[in-house]
This record gives sequence, structure tokens and C-alpha cells, in this order.
Amino acid sequence: MSFELNRKLAARRDPLPTSINIDPVTADIVRGAFETVCFEAATHLGRAASSPIINQSNERNAAIVDANGRLAMGAIGTPHLTFVNQMMVRWGLMNVEVYDWGPRDVFLSNDPDHGGGHLPDYCVYSPVYDDKGELIVVLTLQAHQGDTGGKDPGGFTLEAADIFTEGVSFPCVKLVHRGEKRSDVIHMIERNNRFATFAGDLAAMIGAVQRGAKMLDGMIGKWGADVVKAAINQSIDHTERLVREEVARWPDGIYEATVLIDHDTVGTKDVKVHVACTVKADQLTVDLTGTDDRPNLVGVWNTFANSRSYVMTQLCAAVDPTIVKNEGMFNAVEIIIPEGCIAQPPPNKPAALGSFHPACEITEAVCLALSQVVPERSAPQLYKIGMPNAVIGFDENGQMWMDQGVDCRSMDVSAVQGIDGWGSCPVSLGNLILSEAEDAECRFPILNISREMTTDAGGAGQWRGAPGSLNVKQVLAPTMAMAWMVSADHPLRGMCGGDDAIPYSNRFEVGTSGEYKIERTAQAQLPADAVIAYQHGGGAGFGSPLLRDPEAVREDVLDEYVSLKAARKKYGVVLTGSLEDYDLAVDHAATEALRKEMGGKLPALEAVE
Amino acid sequence: MNYRVGIDIGGTFTDFALLKGADVIVHKNLSTPQDRSLGVMEGLGSLAQKEGLSLTDFLGRCDAIVHGTTVADNTLIEMNGAVTGLITTEGFRDEIEYRRGFKEDIWDVRLEPPRQITPRRRRLTVPERVLHDGSVHKPLDEAAVREACRKLKKQGVESIAVSFLFSFVNAAHERRAREIIEEELPGVQVSLSHEVLPRGPEYDRTSTAVVNAYVAPRVTSYLESLVTRLGEGGYRNQLMVMQASGGVMTVDYIRGSPIRVLASGPAGGVVGSAHVGNAKGHPNLLCVDMGGTSYDMSLVLDGAAPAEAGWTMHHRYLIGVPMVKVETLGAGGGSICQINGGALQVGPRSAGSEPGPIAYGRGGIEPTVTDALVMLGILSTEEGFAGGSFTLKRDGVEAAFAKLGEAMGTSAEQAAFDCWRVVNARMSQGVRRTTAGKGIDPKDLVMLAYGGNGPAFAATQAEELGIEKVLVPKASPTFSALGTLVANPSIDEERSCIAKADALDLDQLRSLWTELGARARKFFADSSFNSDQVVANYQLNMRYAGQNFSLTFDVAPDRRLHDLSFIDDDLGARAIALFNQRHMAEYSHIREHEVPEVTGVRLATHVNTPSPVFAKGFPVSTGNPVPTKSRRANLGSGYADTPIFLGCDLQPGHIVNGPAIIEESFTTIVVYPGWKTIVDIAGDYEMTRTG
Repeated sequence: MSFELNRKLAARRDPLPTSINIDPVTADIVRGAFETVCFEAATHLGRAASSPIINQSNERNAAIVDANGRLAMGAIGTPHLTFVNQMMVRWGLMNVEVYDWGPRDVFLSNDPDHGGGHLPDYCVYSPVYDDKGELIVVLTLQAHQGDTGGKDPGGFTLEAADIFTEGVSFPCVKLVHRGEKRSDVIHMIERNNRFATFAGDLAAMIGAVQRGAKMLDGMIGKWGADVVKAAINQSIDHTERLVREEVARWPDGIYEATVLIDHDTVGTKDVKVHVACTVKADQLTVDLTGTDDRPNLVGVWNTFANSRSYVMTQLCAAVDPTIVKNEGMFNAVEIIIPEGCIAQPPPNKPAALGSFHPACEITEAVCLALSQVVPERSAPQLYKIGMPNAVIGFDENGQMWMDQGVDCRSMDVSAVQGIDGWGSCPVSLGNLILSEAEDAECRFPILNISREMTTDAGGAGQWRGAPGSLNVKQVLAPTMAMAWMVSADHPLRGMCGGDDAIPYSNRFEVGTSGEYKIERTAQAQLPADAVIAYQHGGGAGFGSPLLRDPEAVREDVLDEYVSLKAARKKYGVVLTGSLEDYDLAVDHAATEALRKEMGGKLPALEAVE
Repeated sequence: MNYRVGIDIGGTFTDFALLKGADVIVHKNLSTPQDRSLGVMEGLGSLAQKEGLSLTDFLGRCDAIVHGTTVADNTLIEMNGAVTGLITTEGFRDEIEYRRGFKEDIWDVRLEPPRQITPRRRRLTVPERVLHDGSVHKPLDEAAVREACRKLKKQGVESIAVSFLFSFVNAAHERRAREIIEEELPGVQVSLSHEVLPRGPEYDRTSTAVVNAYVAPRVTSYLESLVTRLGEGGYRNQLMVMQASGGVMTVDYIRGSPIRVLASGPAGGVVGSAHVGNAKGHPNLLCVDMGGTSYDMSLVLDGAAPAEAGWTMHHRYLIGVPMVKVETLGAGGGSICQINGGALQVGPRSAGSEPGPIAYGRGGIEPTVTDALVMLGILSTEEGFAGGSFTLKRDGVEAAFAKLGEAMGTSAEQAAFDCWRVVNARMSQGVRRTTAGKGIDPKDLVMLAYGGNGPAFAATQAEELGIEKVLVPKASPTFSALGTLVANPSIDEERSCIAKADALDLDQLRSLWTELGARARKFFADSSFNSDQVVANYQLNMRYAGQNFSLTFDVAPDRRLHDLSFIDDDLGARAIALFNQRHMAEYSHIREHEVPEVTGVRLATHVNTPSPVFAKGFPVSTGNPVPTKSRRANLGSGYADTPIFLGCDLQPGHIVNGPAIIEESFTTIVVYPGWKTIVDIAGDYEMTRTG
């Protein structure tokens, strides 16, 4: 639990020892089979779990880590989770004897200071051995839990001074010993969780990991450990080579970007993330030097493993999407994160909110920097929302419920060159299946009033961001609601001349004399019937709005993504006819003249092609 | 003697299966895309001729004509359905566009959006609100509905979906909206969400209703023109239509919910498989259908192919109505083999049928799976292959694989073999993903292979998955038409009701099931079945609180319609026990201390109708047949001179030991090394492992 430990955990690992060589086709066949095990485990968990965040939102991940602690082959699940689990397993691997590892064991880990992300991201894993007793791989499963047993329900404490405020940390604890559940340990963990359905979720995780590990055991038996080891080595090497080949095609240079977070949870302003991406031949270095390290910051500490993961999530977007996501990604890229900055905090810092920010600003900065190199793949993979309005109450049994619901509707879907932002979230969150009003209202005393996109709430651009939605809901019983507002002063940035997204804003007790806008944070006791309204920032634009096809702008106006006023003011498009009669037409001459006039006032307006 | 005719219209061929007593007569002719009913009438004419009857006499003697159609699928593929509007609850205009956040590829920032059936300008909202308990929070603003109609009229809307929140609990607002739309926009079709899919949550129901509205005019006008033509031709009975749920129903029923015919072709194949499997004593099957562009996988368990209603993305749109679960992988004969990022990739890109594989000689230049099979000597390039309709050509195939091999540092033959391995592996993983989360080990199943390319890969697939036995019906290339004949008339519907299982409102359950029963009785009566013939399975949807997906199970199977005597004070306790049993089977655990909740009641009804009989068993061995020729072929363990048999020469009782190749009409069956094939009494093939 130290910077030194972080260095050890992140150090490059050796290939698995094997004397045999296998052909690339066989290697790829083995890889596909292993990925299918991940699919099976993740599917099983998603179907068996009770909490909406796992079974509806699908926020879970399955991966295979090899005996040297490397992300072995493709994983199935949320990208932001995919690149963390191997760090947690490495802590266990460093202590195999201490923790008495053996076949059919299942472990739990979530410790931010032992390779983890934030506390709610539980990693449950099981080692798999060959018939000679040699450890070959570890099957890992991660899922976000509804509570972590800390000061505040849900695990997010706005003013947390340390990790202990946020809940219980597990560096590596054994849940199943040689196939036998350790009831004492499991009951202790269940006892330290407020969430009514937690026991079911944990049982589902254990069941899914055991099932997957058994399948892996069969595969190692079938192919032999050496073939599996050789296949892992090849898969990792192959990925590294492909990434390096892509980087080698990028122009050498240093590409930098700075992104600011409005404030931390106690109001310290303009928290900075700085990234320098250096391309030299086939080597890419991502350096976070210059990122904020003010020790008095509160809430904005992202764990080391998470910071690496969020860098990698954006790098994956920047390269061919078919490249297998494994340790080869890390081998191909050098990531430098200064010790003590908000992207590599000292031990015992709180970690819950850091997974939102600065985690996402790291992603955004990498995207901005690389937009100078790979504009065609520059769409930030993040969530700029401070945190969703977490609405928390207790049922008649005193069990906690939370309509956190990841109830973003449209947020942060930026355009990318050639494609307008679409759908609900950036593509990296596309495996989420958002909760719906009809499900939530059957369970909780809330009423969803509106969740539509707001006209003009997306960044304008040659390709435009998806408009952000306005989420309005009413609580029908006295309820606690919590919020942290950011991305208002510093909204999501546009790419290559595109406009920024609109600022986020959030109001509580809407329509009453007590209505207020949340400037920084809120932890409020809402009376029955109070209304809360969260305007999401939407996606940012790509390229200058004055280059957008005027016919596309006309379509946008017809669909009320863009207002008539903004068509003229932002896009320089003059339309005739009326929206009410659906007979809008582009006045091409007037548009050309207006754009010329506007273009003269704009600083830089070169086409992005 | 009277007839039953099954018809399946595919992209290229229209397949017919005529059931005459115990005999099945199969026929195929080209589809007629401009007006598909023409191809149907042409084929019926040919069948009449074979029977020595005029078309009028033939149709007059048909008890049933059963039809599987791709018209709804084609509408979604070609995106040429009705101009569709959506009227929904104020505040919820964009749920359909959000897709609950789902995107098909989480790594590709260049993923294109699906085309919107209802672009935002045609999604209009009206003030109204019903709560989860069915109470009205805000009355329907009728003036707003009329205003929405005027706006949609200006946009030339032909079909409208109406989806209000919690309409599955209280449908009054949706019903009233329909009345207003009918007044304002006469002639426009209306799809009410609570009728198309009476359950939550809103995206799933709205999407299903929108797709229904989009395909409705095309499906109904097509079926009506077919009904007219058949009537003019002399057919006196109801045209029965195949549904994705695996049952058939009248055109009248389909008109109320045209979306139910989506994917009905594949469903027919699975239903046919279940029937064949049962007849031959194999109730648990893995069905694989490999055609030109795709590899379709499905499961038959305990002799049935249960339809599931849930999260089914079909052509990128969520469809919530019951569908026989068929998973599709882009791996077929036309799948293209290429190097991508240094790795060999086979599919999902396909050469289709035009230009098709290089071996088709129609201008294809990229090597495909079919071409690899030619290189491996598995497919013949002699005259008369595939029933004589055309001949595969070797020209250009070798050169294409030589080029591929060069990039991989191997020979042309090795490159073709590697393609065969890769496509095999993709299919095996596809199967494992099909069984994922279901607690099924493929090795406990029997494989049933059909489609043009299925039998060429079946045994090696089986070996990879640990499966010991493979069935290949002689009629495998026209299996879906046969399936429509096997399918029973059926109605599978549900009504929502949410309650803790230990606090059920029995009167409410009784009334919901009574309502479902009344609907079933009406539609069965319309198709000339009386209530006594109807078999009713009363089912519940249940889950633990917080779970997203309910499990469906029988609570009172094989009942008479309207026999609700099973509803008693003990029902809740029985439901909990049955649910836990089902949960254990599905997820390997239960939550002993939790009371699950009921989310809906279902009524699955059917009438048993005569099906083709598939014989089982083997006559006394008639000895090993003699191959007609041999060919140099690589069946997975290197090139060797391989015996070739012609299907038409093989008799029941014949045994063919692998390695060998059997050339059947429209398909090629490979007996891999370590396998043998026996021709059973019905002329179907059963392959088993010997090594």
C-alpha cells in the first residue's frame, strides 16, 4: 500500500514460460474459446443478479488474467472495468502463499490501494490450475455494488476525508476454499452492506466465477497447458504489434491537452488534468505530468489502476476496434502518472467519486490530444455528469433502496468525424441497459416526469453532438437526494473546431418557493412531492458548424434537435417555410452569404476532412 | 384424400411440403420478389399437377395451407415499411431513440446509428399519465391527441403506434387515443402498445409497437392478396400463418399483431427439428442451420422449442413478442475469408448469392467458405451438383487461396484449411454463446443439421462440442416448409400483473386468464376449432424483486380452455415452488429467504393438428454400400483419396464409415474420420462417433 506497490503492480510482466510454438490460427481459436467463457460468466451474472445496476445497467465485466498477472485475452463487459481487474489479481498473485491459493478457491478484492478502482467495483476471481498443479489463469468478474458499508448509503460520501469513510476494503479475501463456501466470511461481508439485494448479487458473482473457472479447467485439460500458455503469449504479442503499427503511422510529435474540472466536492476550483501524448516511431507515451496534486482537494482522487484504465479506454477508441483488448495494449504504450497527483493518490484517499472525475477528464484529455492525430476516431468515451441524482430511501423493513438507476438518458454523446452523436451514451457504455421509468416506479416511490432531449443541448459542429436530456422526477415520499455538480463551468469539449456541449445544471424542489440550483454539491432531505430536474450536457460537436451540410441542419430543425434560431446563429443556415407546416427549405444564397459573414468573424475555420 | 400444404418463402426459393396421409412430397420453385404470391400459386399449380388434379380441385381438397413468410423481415432489411408515427406520453418522446443506452459494438466509435422508423418529428407527445397501480394521475388530453393527428397527417403518416406509460395496467388512454385517431385519420393503421406487448418496461413495449406499426401495412396487404388469390383458386379454408413463436394462426389474428410473423422462417425450421427429434427419440437438440450467409443456432429441450419474450434485437430493433430463440452468426457458404490486422478472419462479410463465392462463376473474386470447401475437395465441381441446377467451378479459386496463403506464409491448400478451422471455431463459440447462462452443456445434446451447408460441417462441429450424435434429415434443404406443416395453431399471450407471490389477488388472476381464454376461443373458433380441441397451458412470469428478466413456467399445463380450477388458496405457494425450481435450473441457485413476485400471467394455447410422421429405427443392415467414385479431399486430417457416395443410391440400413462424402440433392454431407453414418428407415442420416 504505497507508491512502491503501485510501481510493482504496474510493472511489465513476462510472457508465460513455455517451450512450444503454435500457429496463429490455433492461438486465435483458443483465444475465441476463452472469450466465450468470459461471455458465459458475464451473462450468467447479468441474469442472476438482483440489483438493477448489474442486471439492468449491465455494469459488469469478465476477464481472464494469466499466471503472471497479465490481461490474457479479450474480456466481456464495460471497458472502464476491463482494464482494472488484472491489477487486483496481481496483489493476490504476489501473496499466493499468504492467502493459501488453491484450486476451486474464489477470492474477493476491491481495495483501491491494492490495485482496485473505487470500492463498489467488487472483483471476484478464481485461479485455475493444470493437472500438475501449475497455476495457468485466473477468471475474474467485476461488478458495481449498490453499497459498500461506509458512512453514506451507496458508498459516495461527498466530503469523505479517507477511504474508511467510504466503506470496507478487501485487499484479497477468500470466499470459497477448495470448493467450499466460507459462510463466516460471506456473512461478515453481507453484514457490512446496506443493500437489500446484495447477498443475491454476491451469490451470483460467486456462481458465475465458479462456472467459468470450471469451463477453463476443461479447456486446459483439452488443449494442454502449454498450448494455452503459447496462445496467451501470442495473443498479447499480436495486440502489441498491431497497436504499435497504428502508432507508427501517426506523425511523430508531442500532443498536449488540458481539461479542467469545475471544482472538487468542497469548492476548490479548476482542478486540472494535463496530458501529453508523445508519438515517436511506434512508441506512444501518455504522460499525466502537470495534473493537479493539491493535497487539500476533496473527492477528486482517482485510483492508480483506474487512471491507467481510463487512459486505455480512450486509446482503444483511437485504434482499430477489432484489436483484441489485452495486456498487449499496455505493453505497447507507456503510461506515466506522477505519484501524489489526483490520478495516483497517496494511500487511504477516498476513491468513490474519483471514478467519475478526474477519471473522465483523463479520458477527455487523451481524446483531445489525439484529435490532432486521429480525428476520425476522436469521440471521448466518458460521462461528464458529476454524479447522477442518487435518490435514496428506506423500505418498511429498514432496507435501503436507491433509484440511482444510472438514469442518464442522453449525455455526452459527442460527434465523431462523419457521424453525429447518437443514442444515449458514448459507445464504450453501450453494454449498459438503462433502467426504465416503468421498472423504477414499480419499486420506488418516485414519478418520472420527463426525460426528453432538450433542443440545442448538443454541441454544434460539422457533425453535431447528441442533445442532452432534461431528467425531471418527483419523489413521492420524503427522500434523501445527493448530487455533485461539475461540467457547468467546463463542459465537454468539442473536437477539431466543433462547439463544446452545453453546461450541466441541476435544480432541486423545482416549482416551489424553495427551488434552488445546485452550484457544487447537495445532500438534501427532500419532502414528499419535491421535483428535481437535471439537465445533461449532451455531446460536443466535431468540426466547424459552418461546414455542416445545410440540408442536415434543416433536418435537425424539423426534428427539433436544433432550433430555427440556432440554425441561423450557430450554423449560419437560413431556412424558409415553417416548422409547423414541415415545409422548411434551405435558402442557399442567403446561407452562403451569412456563412461568409460569420466565417469572417471566426478565428480558424479550415475544413476537417 | 385431403391435403395439408406447408409453404416457406425464402430470398431465392419458395419451398413446398405437401402432406398426404403419411407421405410428404417436397417441391421448390423460384421466388417472385415483385409479388411473392405469384410464386406461391405457381408452386401450388405444380403440386396439383403432380397429384393429377386441377388447381381448383386440388385447393378444394386442402384442409390447411400453412405459410411462413419473410415479408416482415424484408421490410426491416430494406427499410421500406409504412411512414410511421408515434404518439406517446409527454416527457417520453425520445426513449425509442435512446435504446436504453444499448449499442452493438462498445469499442467502435464509428458505429453508425440504426435508421429511425419514427424520426423525432414523427414522435409526438400528449399530456396524460397512468401510474404503476393503474390509477390515472393525469387524464388524457384529447385535444392534444387531435393536434398530434393533424401534425402526423401533414407528414403523410400511414401507420401510427400509440404507447403510453403503464398502458399494460390501464389501457383506457390508449384505447381512447385510437378512437380519436380513427376519427381524425381514417384509413391509418393503429398499433396500441398494450395490445402488441402488454408489459413493461416502456422502451421494450414502445419499440415492439413501433416495429409492428412499421411492418403492419405491408404484411396485411400481402396476406390479404394471398388470401384473395387462394380463394379465387378454390381454397375454402383459413390460410394459416407461421409466427415467430413457432405456432401458426389465422390471417385475422395476425392482422392484430403483424410483428408476430417476423423471423417465422427460422422458427419453422426449429419446430420441424423438434418434431423430427421427438420422432426419433431425441428430445434435446442443438439445431444448426448453415446457409449462404448465416449460421443459425437454436435449442430444442424436452422436445419443445420454447418461445421467449424478452430482449431480442432483430435487425437492430428490439422485439418483445415471443420468438423461438434463434441465434445468428455471420458464417455461411458465402462468408468471405480475409486477412485483417494480420489475423485470418472468416465472415461476417458475405459475398451473398450475387456475386457469390468465386466457385459460382458469377464474378466473385474474394475467397469464401464455399470456395474453401472446393479447395478441400469437400464440394464437387462436377456437373449436376446441388440437384443439377448449377455447377461449381474451380477457376480462380486456387489463385485466390494462393494469394491468401502468401500473406500468411503458407500454401493455398493450407490457407483453405485454416479458413475451414477458423469458421469451425467461430461456429463452436457461437454455439457456446447460445447455451451461455442456461446451464446447458452442448455435449448432452444431439445435433440436428440442416440448410445447404449445415451437413458439411456438422460432425466436426459436434466433435468440437463433445456431441456424440448428429441427425441430418434427407429433406434438410427444405426444412422450414416442413416445419410450417408440423407447427400447431397456437396463441401465446400475456397480461401484466405485479404482486408478491404470497399475496396474490386470485380474482384478478382469474379475470386476466378468463380474458386471455376468451380471445383464444374466438380465434380458434374462427379457424374452425372448438374449445374442446384447445390445449391450454396456464403460465406465470415471475422473478425475485429487483431482477430485470422474469422466468416463465407452467403453473397448470395441459388444461381445457376455461378450466381455472387450479386457482385456489394454495396457488401462491405452488407458484413459489415452481419458480424456485425453474430458477435453480436456469441459474443454479435460489434465494431461500426471498418471496419472488409475479409479473404477469400467460396463456399458451394450441390445437394438435396432424403432422408428417417421421419413422424411427433401422432395418437390418443391408451391408456397406459401394462408393460411386473417389476424390482427393481433406476432411480435417490432411488430403487423402476419399470415397464419394450418392444420396440417391443409399438405402435404409446402409452404413457409411468416415472418412467419406455423401452428395445429396442441394447439400453435401461429410462423414468425418472417426464417425459413421447409418441411413434410417425414413431415409434420414444418423451420424455417430466411432473413434
